[in-house]
Amino acid sequence: MFEREDETIEVVARELRRPVRLGDGVTAEVMRRVSSEARGAGREPGAATLVRRVARWAVRPRTVRVSPLHAAAALAAAVLLAVALRGTPRAPVQVAARPNVQAIPAAAAARSSQLVQFVLVAPAARQVSLVGDFNDWQVGSAPLRAVPAAGVWTIEVPLAPGRHRYAFVVDGGQWLPDPAAPRAAGDDFGTPSSVVTVVGQGA
Amino acid sequence: MELSDADAVRRVLQGDVAAYETLVTRYRDRYARYAVHMLGSREDAEEAVQDAFVRAYRSLARCDDPERFGAWLFRILVNRCRTAGARRTRRWRTIVQDEAAMLDAAEAADDERSAWREEIDRALARLERDQREAFLLKHVEDLSYEEMSEMTGAGVSALKMRVKRACERLRVILREAERV
Repeated sequence: MFEREDETIEVVARELRRPVRLGDGVTAEVMRRVSSEARGAGREPGAATLVRRVARWAVRPRTVRVSPLHAAAALAAAVLLAVALRGTPRAPVQVAARPNVQAIPAAAAARSSQLVQFVLVAPAARQVSLVGDFNDWQVGSAPLRAVPAAGVWTIEVPLAPGRHRYAFVVDGGQWLPDPAAPRAAGDDFGTPSSVVTVVGQGA
Repeated sequence: MELSDADAVRRVLQGDVAAYETLVTRYRDRYARYAVHMLGSREDAEEAVQDAFVRAYRSLARCDDPERFGAWLFRILVNRCRTAGARRTRRWRTIVQDEAAMLDAAEAADDERSAWREEIDRALARLERDQREAFLLKHVEDLSYEEMSEMTGAGVSALKMRVKRACERLRVILREAERV
């Protein structure tokens, strides 16, 4: 490594390696924030956030158009994922998907938001929840409803126009990108997620 | 006996929020160094470190290897610094000269070292963001190129090039400073 042999760089690196001390206030602030989340929302702060968001938004009926997805591609992706999961010991859930975002009447959509329906076909799942940047990736804050006997899980979430990253969490521990949606590039936590683009009304 | 990372993570996941303080105390200053050098501002670094810890807490169930909580947290922090850095590029160059130079003021035993440190901070501030990131991860945090690649998503050869260019640029800037 010729850089290591360079005296200037070595001296610079040595100088920069000196410890930096942040105040105890940082620890106190972190603990205040995490305690507040745990206490105030029963580890489901995302749910409270969603409720507040919905409450803030004015209700206005509309039809939503969200980045259209091709059903064939979605099905192919679903099949691939189902095959992949079958070979994964800790993933007994058989998952398939259909286009997860579609034109739907948004009875409770707000002025600047659109109601988006997320759908996951996972017959073996006991519970499924939706996590994303819109609910701070809080597992359990947006549980999907099971459609009896169909193995279909669904939830409608109001989202502001723009790009949102999300994933499904199956049985509380298995993170899945949406087989029917584009994959997000890069992720804070190195876990695959999907992207949904919400188009504003009239766009 | 001190809690291991894995035990602390397990206790937090079981609802013992106070156990998280062990992890915060353990990693707060260890990773603060990177945030301060990357962002050039103590205030921004504190914010990034706090955000990283809170995000890590929210996503703790996604930490696949609790034994390596520190490495997982550091990845989150690196990404927070990227986001914060992108937002604050304009502020960076003016702040770093004042604040970063003052960070070690209390420790600076002599004026000469303080001045040298100031030149280093100034030189670091003049690097492209991705070069600064690569340089700090390689030469200050001592990561391997493979670890850096995993953390940043950039390829190993691209990272080697960034480090090489950062080193070249630092040499030039510091040589210029010596002449003044």
